[in-house]
Amino acid sequence: MSSTDSLIDRLATDGATPRTGSLARFAAPMVGAAAICAALVIFALDTPFSTVSSDGFSPIFVKWGFSIALLLLSGFALWFIGRPGRSTGGALATLAVPFVLVGALLLPDPLIGQHSFPGETWRRCLTAMAVMSPIAFAGAILGARSLAPVRLRRAGFAAGLFGGAVAMTAYSPYCPERGMLYMAVFYCLPIITMAAIGWVTGPRLLRW
Amino acid sequence: MDSQANTSGDVLDRLMAAARDGDSVAYRHFLAEAAQRVRAMLARKIGADSEVEDLVQECLIAIHQKRHTLDPGRPVAPWMYAIANYKLIDHWRKRGRSPIDLDDEADMAVAPETLAATDIETLLDKLPDAQAQAIRLTHIEGLTNREAGERLGVGVSAMKLRVHRGMARLREIADKDRI
Repeated sequence: MSSTDSLIDRLATDGATPRTGSLARFAAPMVGAAAICAALVIFALDTPFSTVSSDGFSPIFVKWGFSIALLLLSGFALWFIGRPGRSTGGALATLAVPFVLVGALLLPDPLIGQHSFPGETWRRCLTAMAVMSPIAFAGAILGARSLAPVRLRRAGFAAGLFGGAVAMTAYSPYCPERGMLYMAVFYCLPIITMAAIGWVTGPRLLRW
Repeated sequence: MDSQANTSGDVLDRLMAAARDGDSVAYRHFLAEAAQRVRAMLARKIGADSEVEDLVQECLIAIHQKRHTLDPGRPVAPWMYAIANYKLIDHWRKRGRSPIDLDDEADMAVAPETLAATDIETLLDKLPDAQAQAIRLTHIEGLTNREAGERLGVGVSAMKLRVHRGMARLREIADKDRI
């Protein structure tokens, strides 16, 4: 009996039925990281939704619409990328949709010029993104490692988008700033930066 | 890739479906068929490299460990070849970083004539640490692969591979000694 045959015999004793809970093992670290981010802003910042009384719900709807859409899309993309043999180009392409919408809204943004840019809280915004994005990114990396990504840069990119999207979702209720230009500069750019870091580090972090 | 999928897909799909229904014999046949297909693919890509068989085994381990990423009803072949391709690329990446195969180097350092009067610990010292440790835990201390894997912080399949390779190496050493 060859050594490979012997190995096959050993592996076959485990059976073909995989352990249950694959989705839970993938999602748990991502949900956990999102919970940590939520806890951080709750404990560190005061008065969420403070501008609703003056500005209405539109700004937070726009911010959350973008960030939650990106969060879900990047999570699904990571799930698909982690399953070998599937085409992942479509899943990656959908990740551009929220950014395209922001770009489309940026052009006719009626608030451009009406509000001072970059506003008063941009440093806090950047700090929040810089602190929380890596936390959620780490959760996404852990989740992806429970799967079998074979396109590691793509997986790292999607994990980076997820990290940034979670950070934005957690922080935006505390953000008083308005306008698509602000959103593009202080949310989209940090998210894309985190995605680029994921693209670069993916092959190292996700190797299996 | 498409031709690979077409030639092997049906057999692999049927075997995997039966295996997931609890047919352990079908799973063994599946792994054997997968090994054959992966070996052929690797031979086409890297020729008669001495490491093909090691790579085949790495691929089998990966296929087994990551079988939860194959959705029921989806064709097996594209999934299997994607994993095999990934393992091949990873192998090239590792070789690019470390062109010297440390296991081979250690094996070459073993002089057959020194093995005549050795005991098991001396033999194990000839193995890579990971393999020797795996054999100590499973064959001397009597732990199961799962228990040994938990102690070392590695998966059951990885532990099985270490034991398997270590035992194969011990057999080679013993055979040389008899000659």
